[in-house]
Amino acid sequence: MKIAVLGAGTMGTTYVRNLAGMEDVRLVGVFDASREAAERAAALGSTRGFTDLDEMLRQTDPDLVCVCLPTFLHKEYVLKLAAAGKDIICEKPLALSVEDAEEMEAACAKAGVRLYVAHVLRFFPNYADLKQRVDSGLVGAVKVARAKRYSSFPRGSGNWFADHAKSGGVILDLMIHDFDFMRWTIGEVASVYTLYREAEGKQIAYVTMKFDSGAIAQVSGFWGYSGPFTTFVELACEKGVLRLDNQARKSLELFQDQAAVQESERVQVPSLPTLRDPYYYELRHFIECRRKGTEPLITVGDAKQAVAIALAAIESGRRNEPVEVPRIANKGVLA
Amino acid sequence: MDRLKVIMISFAHQHAVSYFHALQKNEHAEIVAIADEAQERVREFTAPHGIPYYADYREALKLDADAVVICAENVRHEPIVIEAAKAGKHILCEKPLGTTAEGMRRMIDACKAYNVQLMTAFPCRYLPAVQQAKRSVERGDIGDIIAMNGTNRGTMPGKWFIRRELSGGGAVLDHTVHVMDLMHWFTGATAKSVYAHAETLFHPIDIDDAGMVHVTFDNGVAGVLDPSWSRPRSFPTWGDVTLEIVGTKGVIHIDALNSVNEVYANDVDHAIWSYYGDNMDEAMVNDFVDCLRSGRPVPITGEDGMRAAMVALAAYESAAKGRVVDIDGAAIV
Repeated sequence: MKIAVLGAGTMGTTYVRNLAGMEDVRLVGVFDASREAAERAAALGSTRGFTDLDEMLRQTDPDLVCVCLPTFLHKEYVLKLAAAGKDIICEKPLALSVEDAEEMEAACAKAGVRLYVAHVLRFFPNYADLKQRVDSGLVGAVKVARAKRYSSFPRGSGNWFADHAKSGGVILDLMIHDFDFMRWTIGEVASVYTLYREAEGKQIAYVTMKFDSGAIAQVSGFWGYSGPFTTFVELACEKGVLRLDNQARKSLELFQDQAAVQESERVQVPSLPTLRDPYYYELRHFIECRRKGTEPLITVGDAKQAVAIALAAIESGRRNEPVEVPRIANKGVLA
Repeated sequence: MDRLKVIMISFAHQHAVSYFHALQKNEHAEIVAIADEAQERVREFTAPHGIPYYADYREALKLDADAVVICAENVRHEPIVIEAAKAGKHILCEKPLGTTAEGMRRMIDACKAYNVQLMTAFPCRYLPAVQQAKRSVERGDIGDIIAMNGTNRGTMPGKWFIRRELSGGGAVLDHTVHVMDLMHWFTGATAKSVYAHAETLFHPIDIDDAGMVHVTFDNGVAGVLDPSWSRPRSFPTWGDVTLEIVGTKGVIHIDALNSVNEVYANDVDHAIWSYYGDNMDEAMVNDFVDCLRSGRPVPITGEDGMRAAMVALAAYESAAKGRVVDIDGAAIV
């Protein structure tokens, strides 16, 4: 399978690193507007860098293209790739609006190409374990849930994360992970209520999700956190409590003398000392789905619904009122 | 002043036991009577310690005493506080101070009218982690506070706590006030509006056992608080008191009761967190005694108790209406 990657930032580089080790994958190219970035990432995967998408598509003819560009470019590039007949893996969030997401989905359906949306959290072994424990029925239904996702302020190319119009801010870009995880684990979301505050170099949001089941989830997201990347989930259930805490449970820690510490990474990505990176499991899953024609663990409908939840949360914060979450129909582009 | 003479009124709330031991340990205080209509509840604290028992607190109030400690059911705080004020006794009242705005107003007014001090029992302010966090905020370590996220989860207490006619509310009333008081204390601001969920999700009872309380303070700070009785039987401890304080220059995390060791014992079917931290009830009772003996104003007033309880009352109103509700600030000052 020939795969190309669009975007040579933190995420694109992560994809390249994971794809490069796969025996049944040929990484054919990395596209980025910056030649230097494209070539640096390409070198990691022993492939070629491109600054012209059409040229890359013409020269390399990939089967599957991974869109790891800033969110505001997702739609433009997904539409181009669909028109070119390429199957697509698109980073989350799928789009900045539900309308854009629907347009992308429709274009893929019309062109007969597959669209996979990379909500990597579902492939994190610690989150997958939690989901499995809930599904096993061991502790009964989830009643009150809490989640946290705190990171430094991400510094993408051109500081695009800081521009709400380009990234959707901490709620759409970061917290969408937990919105999707909670919906995956608990069920459909009826309404959300948000308290959102900003300061210089900081965005903090407290979003409370109310589910059809009656359950409540309080999700906190933070860009500009002074501490280490923190991910936390607690599910208080009928017959017990499940808890995930990356700061309390560590199977590997590295400490270096101050002089040896390099400048911290530009966009923090949580890591686990597992055999493979969660991005590896995610990419493998999509590659297998494409090969077998099977439905992925996360559908385009799920991804659109996650965007709808995040946008409702942003709206709630703006209006200081609870906001109902619209149900986005799953058009099933894979059909 | 010699030893402060204290009457304990009602052991309905189990915190009375802790306050009893704190008073017994305090060499500047003396329990001169225990009043409780249910004698069996206080038998072990009266006769064996040579402390006189009264079935009717009004009889006990006739004694020569300086102060009362009230741990009655929530709805009975008001009549007892007012009677104690009339009898000229200073008061330490268990939280929540009251179950209605008017009732709390009457309690505060009565204490002013009879010139006695009214302290609301918010012992969390005396936890060392909380005190150090307060000093850190005051030093400007985290800049200006912009948002706070707290929890005060617990175990479903049963008994009168789940009878509305005695408690006035469930988990949301029981467990909002402690951390709400801390939020007020840390910000120096007052909750202005509330959006909340109050639900019965965990237990087959007729009162709320779960909720989520969102607050906007009058200085613009945002706060959210989980007051649910969500700790299961298998959990290593009864509950928690946590507060995250987000400032413009940093963050403080308080997990106030996390001074624990882990215990795994074959004879117990769950892990245990063995608390070795300081006793907040003792610190609070000692401060109450010190304040009264030295004539200082108590640091946590009836108004503080009312401010915190008003958020819980607004939370119920918000949950019923499904929208944000304002708190009448004028009712408190």
